[in-house]
Amino acid sequence: MPRAHATLISRERVTEGHYLLTLDCAEVAQNARPGQFVHLRVGDGTDPLLRRPLSIMLSQPDRREVQILVRTVGRGTGIVATHDEGTRYDLLGPLGSGWSIPQGDEPVLLVAGGIGVAPLIFLADSTRMADPQPYVRAIFGGLTTESLVCWTEFAARCDEFIAVTEDGSTGETGLVTDVLAPELDRDPPVRVYACGPDGMLAAVARICAEAGVPCEVSMEQWMGCGVGACLGCAIPSSAGGYVRVCTEGPVFDATQIDWERLMSR
Amino acid sequence: MSVAHPDLSVEIAGLSLQNPIMSASGTFGYGTEYAEYLDLSKLGAIVTKAVTLEPREGNPPPRVRETPAGMLNAIGLQNPGAEVFIREKLPELRAFGVPVIANISGRSVDEFARLAEMLSIEGVDALEVNISCPNVEHEGMTFGVDCEMTGRLTEAVCAATDLPVIVKLSPNVTDITVIARAAEEAGADALSLINTLLGMSIDVERRRPHLGNVTGGLSGPAVRPVAVRMVYEVSRAVDLPLIGMGGVMCASDALELILAGATAVAVGTANFVEPATMEAIIRGLADYCRRHQVVAIAELVGAVAR
Repeated sequence: MPRAHATLISRERVTEGHYLLTLDCAEVAQNARPGQFVHLRVGDGTDPLLRRPLSIMLSQPDRREVQILVRTVGRGTGIVATHDEGTRYDLLGPLGSGWSIPQGDEPVLLVAGGIGVAPLIFLADSTRMADPQPYVRAIFGGLTTESLVCWTEFAARCDEFIAVTEDGSTGETGLVTDVLAPELDRDPPVRVYACGPDGMLAAVARICAEAGVPCEVSMEQWMGCGVGACLGCAIPSSAGGYVRVCTEGPVFDATQIDWERLMSR
Repeated sequence: MSVAHPDLSVEIAGLSLQNPIMSASGTFGYGTEYAEYLDLSKLGAIVTKAVTLEPREGNPPPRVRETPAGMLNAIGLQNPGAEVFIREKLPELRAFGVPVIANISGRSVDEFARLAEMLSIEGVDALEVNISCPNVEHEGMTFGVDCEMTGRLTEAVCAATDLPVIVKLSPNVTDITVIARAAEEAGADALSLINTLLGMSIDVERRRPHLGNVTGGLSGPAVRPVAVRMVYEVSRAVDLPLIGMGGVMCASDALELILAGATAVAVGTANFVEPATMEAIIRGLADYCRRHQVVAIAELVGAVAR
């Protein structure tokens, strides 16, 4: 049964508004695949009411540990950011689809925007244990240096790493998508894996499609149940209708999403 | 039965339920989504997500938004249509061995009647007529806020089926007892209430509604006092059994609705918060009965002091 109890071992402030939680949680640590999430109950009360879907950033089965990166965007995540060590959590998970795992030593390219780095760190980490190891390149973008959350953890797990900031405070100046097209051109990977804001993902999907490179994206949406029942987290599907981020996703092949309808709002 | 083993069974419109707790339509999919999280055979009944004649895509995202002690939703009746429901969902639902109540929705009296006829098959134990969905135009609530339409629709559905007909009422009306009486006079076998309260929330930074549909239905603990009041009022206005719903999170909340006049209680939003909520509520009802020397829970229906 995909549910578990976890204990907060440590809570570290990474940058303004970003916290790294390390949880003791054997069930999730043993079962999680890169790209999956946990649906975390913030407290016992009714306000905040709903669980919060949070990407798994790292999973270490031998230590029974799971790391989760939280950005304080509202009440629920704001409360989690104040929790003390020893706090107990009720989790559903691991839930959702994961990234496809790179095969052999094939070259892949990871594209992260801000907090979207979390599921990509897990993916990069999983390749380090593979034999032969896939060649992992990464592009990590954000508004400022502060937005490049956990960049050292990410860079340490990649073979090549490009940082991009809009204000030019670290790495190249601009957007990840400014770097992506030339990178695809220079040395085409067999697949691009991307997670970040919708606008970034739409652009990444378009650039990959133009270059003929397969692309997977990890999507975010407000969520109700997390198990596929309420249809609250639906996003437009390229096949018409909608797909559920919690069940068919959060990782989708980029061609499964109707980006035009998604971005029309 | 005895105080040590209280009788939790109830009867609704000819349906015998092993206990009064059932899923609220739209919050529990077709049951299977929750099969890993709780023992569905322990429930009083399963009420399905709304079924329509043709498949529905549903509303553009975002479809849900949390509010204080509650949530807004505007799913828009997304479902695969009656044919797929009958062929794929119903056999799985029947396997759980508890009564299946199919929630139906449509755009016209005729559509409701055709659906009722289609779903009058083995494996469906009752129909819940959704005249109260607030999230789809020219549907649901359009019927449920008007006495005459409620009457016509109820009559048409009752004529099209031999199954018990449960009419689901909207709280978005001036006087819910008037609509309840219209459904009763037209032949409804039971009533369920309340559907969600029409609401809205705004993202002030972006100056736009949070929901893709602009407005949505409010559910969760925030609406419970409204549900208790409406169940209380309707129970005094009609002679039909009631299924009460609205923000039930625990046994005590379910008991509030039962004491107010509900024979059975549906659990909705709470399933999202804790998937095993309904099992916990069923255990809690038995505990309450033991604590209060109640031999059969049916004794408590409408038993609030007046």
